[in-house]
Amino acid sequence: MHDPDDELEAELRGLAADREPVPGELLRAAVDAFAWRDIDAEIAELVYDSLLDADAASLVRGPSEQRMVSFAAGGMTIDVEVTGAGPGRQVLGQIAPPQRAVVEIRYPGDTVTVEADELGRFRSGPLPHGPASLRLRPAAGAEGPAIVTDWISW
Amino acid sequence: MDPDDTGQLVRGAADGDETAWRGLVERFSGLVWAVARAHRLTNADAADVFQTTWLRLAEHIGRIERPDRVGAWLATAARRECLQNLRSAARATPTDDIDRLDIAPVVGNPTEEAVLAAEQEREDADRAAAMWRALARLPVRCRELLRVLMASPPPSYAEVAAALGLPLGSIGPTRGRCLQRLREEMAGISGGLSPSS
Repeated sequence: MHDPDDELEAELRGLAADREPVPGELLRAAVDAFAWRDIDAEIAELVYDSLLDADAASLVRGPSEQRMVSFAAGGMTIDVEVTGAGPGRQVLGQIAPPQRAVVEIRYPGDTVTVEADELGRFRSGPLPHGPASLRLRPAAGAEGPAIVTDWISW
Repeated sequence: MDPDDTGQLVRGAADGDETAWRGLVERFSGLVWAVARAHRLTNADAADVFQTTWLRLAEHIGRIERPDRVGAWLATAARRECLQNLRSAARATPTDDIDRLDIAPVVGNPTEEAVLAAEQEREDADRAAAMWRALARLPVRCRELLRVLMASPPPSYAEVAAALGLPLGSIGPTRGRCLQRLREEMAGISGGLSPSS
């Protein structure tokens, strides 16, 4: 290697490997993530996030502790309002078109299950922060595929 | 990195092969981590970004449009998570990791060889420390680009572009400019410690 830029880049890479290697527990977490894939479920993609998509005016007002995210899959949308700061969160959700459902709020370490009422509304008690995904399945007696939301971190 | 190989890993993982998944983790963990570090997130937030990105890939693994370009997919997903993180009021402020100096101490009654070796280690450590400090002083664009570029294994320019939301064609020239800035910054910090040339 004779190119000075290549040499400096290689030296930088060695420096990063020395000082900031990927922590072992994170590598294990990434391997474990494989178990979370849900082969049969439909994915509801993140289509709106107030953190990224809010207009310039609201950004000028400053960040708030309330975050709106929306997921969409086929004909269904799931709006979730996330509140809370520091270690705690709470969510308020709305499924459209309105329908009953069992809502599993999934974290890598834990799952909290709540129910959406006939108007498609659901809410949680105190929740941890971190990577999260909702898994919706029809309420008992109803039919339909499961739906999982894009993992986000809240 | 062989893109065909990468595509095979994605297809294998999509078929449920855990070994293929591990291969992807091995190949691209450095890149995802570098994206998080480049945005100067706290350790906890960087860990969240990292984990969320891999969970996302696991969920989407059967639906990746360009399996050979999953590196860029991961870089884009990580970048998006970083931006959300930075915009969230619920996060702590970013930290600087520039004050970590690793200088090996000399103990006992050193032989001349040991003294020379220790001196060399100190010089190397000084240079490494100077380089790390210089990196932190660069303009944000350069700091971010170099930090992503510093991932192991080396990322492609397409992956770097995806990680930073920059045009692919700008990466090469910007890299050259930023490496030169780094040399200048290092020369400024140490008043003469000569960077590699």
